[in-house]
Amino acid sequence: MSTDFVLTVCPYCGCGCQVYVQVMDGRATGVVPCRTDEISEGRPCIKGRNAVDFVDHPDRLKSPLLKRDGKFQPISWDEALGIVAERLGKTKRKHGPDSIGVLASAKCTNEENFLLMKFARAVIGTNNVDHCARLCHASTVVGLAKAFGSGAMTNSVPEVEGSDCILIIGSNTIEQHPLIGSRVLRAKEKGARLVVADPRRTPIAEFADVYLQHRPGTDVCLLNGIMNLILSWDLADRDFIAERTEGFDELEKKVKEYPPEKVCEIAGIDQAALEEAARLYGQAERGSILYGMGITQHTTGVENVLCIADLAMLTGNIGRESTGVNPLRGQNNVQGACDMGALPNVYSGYQLVTDGTARAKFEEAWGVELPQQPGLMATEMTDAAIDGSLKAMYIVGENPALSDADINHLKKALRSLDFLVVQDIFLSEAAQLAHVVLPACSFAEKEGTFTATDRRVQRVRKAIEPIGESKPDWIILSELAARIGGAGFDYPSPREIMQEISALTPSYAGVTYERLDEGAILPWPCTSEEHNGTRFLHKDSFTRGKGRFFPIDYREPAELPDRKYPFVLTTGRLMFQYHTGTMTRRTPALERELPTGFVEINPEDAKRLSISQGQWVTVESRRGKIRIQALVTERMLPGVVFIPFHFAECPANELTSRHLDPEAKIPEFKVCAVKINKG
Amino acid sequence: MEDQSGNGTIGAVLVVGGGVGGIQAALDLAESGYYVYLVEKSPSIGGIMAQLDKTFPTNDCSMCILSPKLVETGRHLNIQLITNAELQEVSGEAGKFKVKVLQRPRHVDIDKCTGCGSCAESVFDNLKERDGQIWVDRIVVDEAKCTQCGDCTLACLAENEEAHAMTNVVFERRRVPELPVQQREGIEPETLAQRLALMDDESRKDFWQAELSKCIKCFGCRDACPVWIYDGAELEDAEWIKPGEIPPAVPLFQIIRAYRIADLCVNCGMCEDACPMDIPLRAIHQLMWRQSPESVFEVVPGLDSETKNRLVQRLKEEPAVNTEIAR
Repeated sequence: MSTDFVLTVCPYCGCGCQVYVQVMDGRATGVVPCRTDEISEGRPCIKGRNAVDFVDHPDRLKSPLLKRDGKFQPISWDEALGIVAERLGKTKRKHGPDSIGVLASAKCTNEENFLLMKFARAVIGTNNVDHCARLCHASTVVGLAKAFGSGAMTNSVPEVEGSDCILIIGSNTIEQHPLIGSRVLRAKEKGARLVVADPRRTPIAEFADVYLQHRPGTDVCLLNGIMNLILSWDLADRDFIAERTEGFDELEKKVKEYPPEKVCEIAGIDQAALEEAARLYGQAERGSILYGMGITQHTTGVENVLCIADLAMLTGNIGRESTGVNPLRGQNNVQGACDMGALPNVYSGYQLVTDGTARAKFEEAWGVELPQQPGLMATEMTDAAIDGSLKAMYIVGENPALSDADINHLKKALRSLDFLVVQDIFLSEAAQLAHVVLPACSFAEKEGTFTATDRRVQRVRKAIEPIGESKPDWIILSELAARIGGAGFDYPSPREIMQEISALTPSYAGVTYERLDEGAILPWPCTSEEHNGTRFLHKDSFTRGKGRFFPIDYREPAELPDRKYPFVLTTGRLMFQYHTGTMTRRTPALERELPTGFVEINPEDAKRLSISQGQWVTVESRRGKIRIQALVTERMLPGVVFIPFHFAECPANELTSRHLDPEAKIPEFKVCAVKINKG
Repeated sequence: MEDQSGNGTIGAVLVVGGGVGGIQAALDLAESGYYVYLVEKSPSIGGIMAQLDKTFPTNDCSMCILSPKLVETGRHLNIQLITNAELQEVSGEAGKFKVKVLQRPRHVDIDKCTGCGSCAESVFDNLKERDGQIWVDRIVVDEAKCTQCGDCTLACLAENEEAHAMTNVVFERRRVPELPVQQREGIEPETLAQRLALMDDESRKDFWQAELSKCIKCFGCRDACPVWIYDGAELEDAEWIKPGEIPPAVPLFQIIRAYRIADLCVNCGMCEDACPMDIPLRAIHQLMWRQSPESVFEVVPGLDSETKNRLVQRLKEEPAVNTEIAR
């Protein structure tokens, strides 16, 4: 018998806890916490403790599949890659490279995302590459880049402990980022004050000094109200504003239009609570803002983010330890996938495709001519597929058929494609619609790096051999690129891919496997081999020079309740399941806790509709309807209902709307109008 | 330690840890002519083996193996026991090490102690009834359990006014608020368990309510526990703990866990180490040690499989599936 313990990174949320995978006779048998890990300190949450249970689940895809007469049949790798190469090549020749779309994955390593981005741009010749960040933090990437010049969490996770006031808005921190939630509670024990604003009363709200239950979609109004109070009490950091920022006068004029009375009326909150929240954050020495999907998944997503940036700059709570604007990224490597340029408008390190110098650098490195115009975003690809301008799609490690807004529309789009390839570890809902399915490897079967939410690059190490005939994504991509005729894809290992990334990406220039294996903690920007990484951004100056204030007007959500659809539906996640459940629903310990979804409804509404606890109801929107059990709870405001989106049998995203943020093109998952009927 | 061989090396050995491994090592070394210092963290040697009934795989009685070794170690002329002590620093090199050992106080002057046992009697009335007799040779005050009531010191004073043996911080602590600041130096801060023991019921309830509300049901405390031998049990039974809820039923979830290991807990602290939310779980067990399981749970766990535990029986009558309990 052989045993081994392999240090790697948990494949779930963005906290990026390092854990040991326990290997016995070539099987991943369990997870052992790593006490020296800075984030988890040897205390991972329930998902981390059960992180390998899905790895050798019988449902794992073990060979490539081809759909013949509506049924999947196993085929050989040679045949599968041949078909994919031929069909993609044909589509490219016939309809041009921009008729192909590529979706990268926030579950894959940095190396694989970089390779996929290179594959799309250099081999296929299109900028149509995107990934699920479009559905979560696209607004952050756009918004913070406009205000600060860099669209990432400004401070590191351990620093949260040192804050003296933490403002959490639109983040279910304890459930979705438990190890960050734990640090918030530690800060509180040390005397920090906690302000929570969320339309749903999540567990973190129970620990808040001030809890604001504002109406969904009124975040801009709420934040303008806080800024109004801070300015009127003269709590703004005038020195910081004068030295480090620009555009303050317009902001000052704009927030004057949001007196507390008006704000409380629109947002539906108590004025005393609003004042207390403004006082706590305004007076804080080291105020830190944490936010999540509650801010970004709106048609006003970018505006919400800009408002948060305004608030932080107004009080000078940025560019110092334990302060900052901290978007909590949902996936283990969604930060990395963005950094690697799996986005339609940028190369790795956010170098714009429209910037001639950047393009010339990549053209020289790859020896091909690259497309000049930004490509389609994930949410635009759907429409392009339906109107016929997008002919083929290559989806790696994503399940948009459950996670995208208005999935009936999305499924129609996927069905109308001439050719769809899905590369995944399980036969997900999206994979079932594919023509060819390629079996990929899970995190335990490959080498690479993940970038956690606080920009920390960490090593993922191979613990076991690939299950069945599955292959790591980077090998599949290399082989496929070689068949289509792309040069420069003959990497012996991910180490060499990282060398290429470092050479082409200034913020990753100092990241090498040697340093990571020595235990170095490297949050980017890490600009040279001597550079020790940057714990917090914008220390002496902002990435863009001066911080920019943006005056923001409150806009209502795109779809408001009316007489026909009287409820506001907001969606989200739960502690024990993860996203579309491809992994967690195959993990017994997690599935036992939460085997199916429910709709959370306020007792008043339930009484009015005479719905009792656990009763089956139908929730219907303009786009679809689902049958689901009711959970009557005080957590929700009257008139607002909540459905988790994990479950294929009651998919919340059949109901959500396709209204997009004009800039970030993120759908409004958090607000849509629904009606509820019994039965 | 003197230079015996002439080449700078010393003929003495330090063994760290007085479990069965350390004891055997010390005995072997002592027999081969080395002078052995045996350092042990707890007040007595013996370790975990002394708490076991049988040994694997031969099913030998573990005390039959261990006790002759304990006696021999205690009486060996070449072994010096340093109990209630911890190794702090090691310097030097093979053959000539220099170590720094922290000797913790036992709060009893062994030279003065007559072994009367009145100190123990004063704080633990049950002791006599339970064991039929009190036999005290080397008594020690367990700081983790001490509530600083001071009764033992008073009892010792009453027994022997001239030369009382309790050199006790306990007695001093009781007077801490009256002492001027400079005299308080050197008095250790209270442990959490001590603080809790002194709280009134209401504040203790509030304390645990607040702490246990942090729970995110990761099962880390259960998974890390070396003595948790139950497969699932009530923690995974929807009738007791509603699945999918955060925090899981407060305080039921932790009470069930504590009850299950009440008689097995070795106070290793793994549960507390494994808790992502920093809940001071170890204090629960330290508190439980003050009282016998039967007084807390009205049943002796593990003695009889037929006896149903009262806690669970009561729950059966009133199932705890009210969804809103925890929120």
